[in-house]
Amino acid sequence: MSELKNKPAHNKGFWGLLDLSNALSSFVAIATGLVVGFFVLLISNPADAAVGFTTLLTSGVSDLKNMGQVLYFATPIIMTGLAVAFAGKTGLFNIGASGQFIVGAYCAILVGVRCSFLPGIILCPAAILAAIIAGALWGALPGLLKAWRNVNEVISCIMMNYIGMYLVNYLIILTVYDQRRNITRAVATHANIPTWGLEHIFKLGNSPSSANGGIFIAIIAAAMMYIILEKTVFGYELKACGFNKNAAEYAGINSKRGIIMAMAVSGALAGLGGALLYLSGAGKGIDVVDTLAMEGFNGIPVALLALNNPLGVIFSGLFIAYLTVGGFRMQLYNYAPQAVDMIVAIIIYFSAAALLIKGFIQKIGKNKKIRAKGDA
Amino acid sequence: MFFAIPLLIVALGGMFSERSGVVNIALEGLMIFGAFTGVVFIGIIQKSGAHIDGQMLLLLAVLIAGAVGALVSLAHAYSAINMKADQIISGTAINMLAPAFAIFVGRRISEKGTQQVHFEDWFRFDSVPKLGDLPIIGDLFFKNAYLTTYLGFLILFISWIVLYKTRFGLRLRSCGEHPQAADSVGINVYKMRYAGVIISGILAGIGGLVFVIPTSREFNATVSGYGFLALAVLIFGQWKPLRILFTAFFFGLLKAVAASSSGLPVLKDIPISSYFYKMMPYVITLIVLTFTSKNSQAPKAEGIPYDKGGR
Amino acid sequence: MLGVTKKFPGITANDNITLQLKKGEIHALLGENGAGKSTLMSVLFGLYQPESGIIKKNGQIVKVNGPNDATKLGIGMVHQHFKLVHNFTVLENIVLGCETIKNGFLSMGAARKKVLDFSQEYGLEVDPQALISDITVGMQQRTEILKMLYRENEILIFDEPTAVLTPQEITDLMVIMKNLTNQGKSILFITHKLNEIQAVADRCTVLRKGKYIDTVVVAQTDKEKLSEMMVGRKVTLEVKKPLIEPGKVIVDVNGLTVKNRLSGKNIVNNVSFKVREGEIVCIAGIDGNGQSELVYALTGLMKADNGCIILDGQDISHTTVRARGLAGMAHIPEDRHKHGLVLDYNLAYNLALQRYYEPHFQNKGFLRYGEIYAYADGLIEKYDIRSGQGTKTPVRSMSGGNQQKAIIAREIDRAPKLLIAVQPTRGLDVGAIEYIHERLIEERSKGKGILLLSLELEEALGISDRTLVIFEGQIVADVDPQDVTYQELGLYMAGSGRKEAMA
Repeated sequence: MSELKNKPAHNKGFWGLLDLSNALSSFVAIATGLVVGFFVLLISNPADAAVGFTTLLTSGVSDLKNMGQVLYFATPIIMTGLAVAFAGKTGLFNIGASGQFIVGAYCAILVGVRCSFLPGIILCPAAILAAIIAGALWGALPGLLKAWRNVNEVISCIMMNYIGMYLVNYLIILTVYDQRRNITRAVATHANIPTWGLEHIFKLGNSPSSANGGIFIAIIAAAMMYIILEKTVFGYELKACGFNKNAAEYAGINSKRGIIMAMAVSGALAGLGGALLYLSGAGKGIDVVDTLAMEGFNGIPVALLALNNPLGVIFSGLFIAYLTVGGFRMQLYNYAPQAVDMIVAIIIYFSAAALLIKGFIQKIGKNKKIRAKGDA
Repeated sequence: MFFAIPLLIVALGGMFSERSGVVNIALEGLMIFGAFTGVVFIGIIQKSGAHIDGQMLLLLAVLIAGAVGALVSLAHAYSAINMKADQIISGTAINMLAPAFAIFVGRRISEKGTQQVHFEDWFRFDSVPKLGDLPIIGDLFFKNAYLTTYLGFLILFISWIVLYKTRFGLRLRSCGEHPQAADSVGINVYKMRYAGVIISGILAGIGGLVFVIPTSREFNATVSGYGFLALAVLIFGQWKPLRILFTAFFFGLLKAVAASSSGLPVLKDIPISSYFYKMMPYVITLIVLTFTSKNSQAPKAEGIPYDKGGR
Repeated sequence: MLGVTKKFPGITANDNITLQLKKGEIHALLGENGAGKSTLMSVLFGLYQPESGIIKKNGQIVKVNGPNDATKLGIGMVHQHFKLVHNFTVLENIVLGCETIKNGFLSMGAARKKVLDFSQEYGLEVDPQALISDITVGMQQRTEILKMLYRENEILIFDEPTAVLTPQEITDLMVIMKNLTNQGKSILFITHKLNEIQAVADRCTVLRKGKYIDTVVVAQTDKEKLSEMMVGRKVTLEVKKPLIEPGKVIVDVNGLTVKNRLSGKNIVNNVSFKVREGEIVCIAGIDGNGQSELVYALTGLMKADNGCIILDGQDISHTTVRARGLAGMAHIPEDRHKHGLVLDYNLAYNLALQRYYEPHFQNKGFLRYGEIYAYADGLIEKYDIRSGQGTKTPVRSMSGGNQQKAIIAREIDRAPKLLIAVQPTRGLDVGAIEYIHERLIEERSKGKGILLLSLELEEALGISDRTLVIFEGQIVADVDPQDVTYQELGLYMAGSGRKEAMA
């Protein structure tokens, strides 16, 4: 479990985002994933492969409504991507974003349904806040176990995912259940996040997309995370814990507190993602099925492609969402949208290896430099 | 029983991988791959009208599931061993790939375009001659049974022998604990780790099929988190075959209670939701981890890529 | 056996080195850290392929492509860090890699007999059924030697075998080595300790900075010559230090005890001592006698189970690491990669590691970059820390000596009252060692209290004003380095009380 945790902090400024070797490794992974995806289409149905593939790549930007859909799909996975990235920066692998996401989503819906007497100006922030708190708690628990009992956070997060999923299903039936559709009840309309005019921009004819203000909240969250990590004492301490826990303790940094805080913040980000999806006004509810929320796992490739850089997460989140929209359109040609999931999985696989390739390239570069300058 | 056996098989698979030093959280995905191909194979044969003995067909399907599991696990092995990539990430990739693959291909091959793959149950037998007549044991183990149950015990027995009584087992364990030591005495660490991962792939693939056969008549691109549960079994079982057996049965029991809580008269009266039984294995694992992690017996070199040059 | 010849001009690591080992001799390979000893051994074992040069055995050119080839040639090695699987038995570790098989199953009976025979023949007593994690370091080393014998190796390589042993165990090892050569084995003995070479080696090859210097017959040379060959100039291991009358007590440690969480044994057992202003107190001892835990307890990295620590009149027994730092304690840690540095941070961030939280370096929770980099530039200048890209250099890419300089700069610059230096010269070449000793003396002259933990007797006696000896977590001796001999100190380190030593 090394790459995600121990990447050197090269990006010292905003434009570090465009660091060539960083971007390159992500592009290699993406390209490989797409090529493999194309072959999958080719094998399963050669006749429509080319047009299907083109649809996949162009739909996301084909019209304003689809672009709006990209924003809509990107919002939750940017948040879970930030969650994974934040934990990654501090040396932790948060594979529990799924659980944090769903408990956050549930709490947002609970508030949105049950507290509908509140005015919108209070109700919506209250629902979001509930989600943030729930996610933070759900994330903090594995952090606590890691800090005090040395429990591997990957394993405990996996357990927490399932516990969260079953617990939420149980609570939904108790509190906000729509028996007819086997889904959560719809939240009060004024609990939804305002669209801030996005529906007027991103639409096709009179049919608006699901784009809403959530994307702005996600972008603000990313920017805040960047500032916290790169500019503050807190970020300095957290990253020190991530790079070398022993040295952090040696320097008097309370690494236990660091781990718990990092997981809580990470969980809060994922929980916020849950709120942003289910308060989007698109009428989505949580299905009561025994399946983990995929948004949580999609945070992993988003964070990986961005190499844990919070600003990069915005772009990689948009990219994955763009593929998702393309995947839906591909159904026109009788391709299951799961083709996109396969492509994403392949991208994850190669980005794990690509990180290594990148490290290798940098090492060679470094060695040359050292030799050239002569080692003291 | 039907719940415990797949857990047992898959957890044993995970044991081989982790004891060789490679964390394999891809068990879930490998199970799906195994189950999917096994079920598809059964479906094809059954539809083709070929007259084949049910048990024979099952065994063939098991072989195929194992082979596919092995094949997919190669991807994990390559990434974890040769590329020295993050083992969690490549495992996650396989876990995400598997259901997508099963649905995508399932839709392609099914006539109605649905993702479910159906099959008929030719495999159950009512009672094993003679053994089925034994009191208690007969009812428990030899009636309404599937061949796969015995297969599970066979795998357990073989695993134990291999791990503790053979040269291969000794070498495999040394690679998980101290790969530098293994290398210094001429053991090919990469090869042993490949072997560990591939065995885990075979067993996870088989486990996937074994999970689907007795409990369902169709495969719906999921093994319901059994791969992750098997991981919990493995940890709870402290990476040791016999403890894995007990844990698998304990978790299997919980699952069985969860599945039948509304049907069992005793439990029906107790106002506990089946969700709590479903949660229980995970909660228990978390609690056990809380109290054992400080002196865990996990293989020392687990999850750390081995670099030949590094010392 | 004619010998092993190998030449290869690399960039620096090994430059045209020739090494000949005769049958039945003990041949020492001497060199400083980084002189190329390990690289040479890696070549011998086929881990690296030389750019040029050949290896011969018994006059025949041989090709070594990996450890397996080396084993086939009868070459075996006891590594500095033992290659033993901790939860295997001694026997399992010995047979690993060349197991006997019967019907596909392991068969250990014959192997056990063979191992027992060897232990008798060479005086290597060890219980084959014991788990590695349960036996002493000395026993583990015997297991390693048995591993080589089991493989019927002819050429045995010992890489720094004495670092972890008590003086008595070292004596035993010397006897065993002599035994082995009497039986026709040949031994290559890698070390940087001159005493041991004189005690046991027949010939000695010296390497310096990757270059071959010379091979000499040990009986015809002396320690001074050897050390001059090793370092390349005359070395005065004597440290000049001004006479200072120690001032008031800086730190008073009383009854400090740390228990092992699993076994409940006392790793640090009722340790009491004082360090005064202008005094260097050295705690000497063999590795693994509780030194690390003692330091962790002193610095707050580990909770002490008992005892109290008074730093300059302030009770800091139960305070955090940060509070102890603020109270005037600085710490040069034993393992600079584990504790001392965040290797992925750049040099400036590492130099600020102990002070980033001070008001000077932050503003309402935001770091003040300008101040941090200016401060780092100052330290780099003052302490002559060399690096590729100045403050922006990732510390990972710096040399060991400069990494250590960075730590020393950072810790000394905190203007501590008490400086705890744990093996500050470990793994460094003589130049860097001298630099560090000078800095320590300088701090002493400024009236700081210095607590030095060292495994090297010469260091312990050379620069300290007072030497304490730790054995199994207890302070067993408190001596003036002026009137104690190496032999006496060695006995203390092995656990003999002072009275026994005198008798």
